[in-house]
Amino acid sequence: MPLPEQDIHYFVDVTLTHLNKLTGNEITLRSPTIEFQSLVFSAYTGLLHLKGGAEGFVYITASQQFLSHLYTAKGHNGRASEDNCRETIGDVTSHIAQNVTKRFGTTLKISEPRIFSTVPDDPIEMPPAVYVQPVVWRKEHAYIVLGLASAEMSAS
Amino acid sequence: MTGTEIYKRTATYDAEARSIRIHAPHWKVLLAYDGQRTLSEVAVSAETPFAETVTLTQKFLDSNWIAEEPITLDQYIKRMGASDITKTGAVVAPAVVLHDPEKDKPKPVAPPAPVLPPAPVAVQPPLTPPAPVTPVTAPVPVTPPPLPTTKTTPVPVAVLPPVAPPAPTKRTMKLSAVVDYVVSLVGNVSLGQILVYRVFLRVPPELLLAEDIASVHLSGDTSIITGEKLQKAIADAVHAVVKKTLPDSVFA
Repeated sequence: MPLPEQDIHYFVDVTLTHLNKLTGNEITLRSPTIEFQSLVFSAYTGLLHLKGGAEGFVYITASQQFLSHLYTAKGHNGRASEDNCRETIGDVTSHIAQNVTKRFGTTLKISEPRIFSTVPDDPIEMPPAVYVQPVVWRKEHAYIVLGLASAEMSAS
Repeated sequence: MTGTEIYKRTATYDAEARSIRIHAPHWKVLLAYDGQRTLSEVAVSAETPFAETVTLTQKFLDSNWIAEEPITLDQYIKRMGASDITKTGAVVAPAVVLHDPEKDKPKPVAPPAPVLPPAPVAVQPPLTPPAPVTPVTAPVPVTPPPLPTTKTTPVPVAVLPPVAPPAPTKRTMKLSAVVDYVVSLVGNVSLGQILVYRVFLRVPPELLLAEDIASVHLSGDTSIITGEKLQKAIADAVHAVVKKTLPDSVFA
């Protein structure tokens, strides 16, 4: 059975909730898109692979400035280094993983967060379509990307 | 609500306008109801996502600030771009023009389509080979309207050379109308957009890419679908996911 809309949206929702908590509810949403040809990657990406009740991936990708602002908002001083940016996006991704595990339990297997810069070292298989939710904070962009594959198609 | 409804502000609105307190951007929507524009046009005019416009419209209806403006057959036909049948005296209505490339050209006064912030990097995953592209250029056959069923007396007539049937008219599908329709089926915009995603998970990407559709904007998409195969694939996907048939209003 494919996941109901509420469950699919949870991946986006939990990320937004966390970002809003970190930014003092200053996150602005842009109109989402569905992409058929390509994946969007910004400077830093935290990715989780999903298996079980849903097959695919969810990731957040953000510009260096976005993460730098986030790093400062968490109480750090100074400009965020590359390591700081990786650590920041890693924290967000781990938070998503914990909450998803809490909600879905054993029905959904979540991989360890995979953090990378610019583009993934290992290729990611493109599902039929990916859902992209752009977010803006202090004029900087981040994208929450959800790619589901076989879980939806198995209902065909 | 399908997006084709027309609303106008009411006398109640006129009486209460000065005392109304609403979220500032919502005024843009409220002031856009003019008894002429459809709900979809109001959304575009107010630069507000259709799904949000639907929610606001319901709120304004509940407050009795707007009311639906019924239109006559003539107005409807005029809006649809057909000839005025009352002037033809024809028993059988003339064929409705379903697609006129000249009319489909973007008008210079139209507001610009919403543009996503540029994605920093778009990567096509190397593992997935490009899907074969199937040309979808077959015209959509159109059945002529049925003849009247009134009884007639046969009259001998001269045999005329056979008349060529009218050229098949190609229907075009507005992607934004499909998105808005699916979103409207769910009370919550976010969940409605996920429902749209589920629909497009079932549409073969090669058909979309054959029509140069690499992405769908879930608010204000401007793509027009002419390929019969893709139209059918989308209709089938909608039916499979939401168990409903696409309304005629999604066709331009």
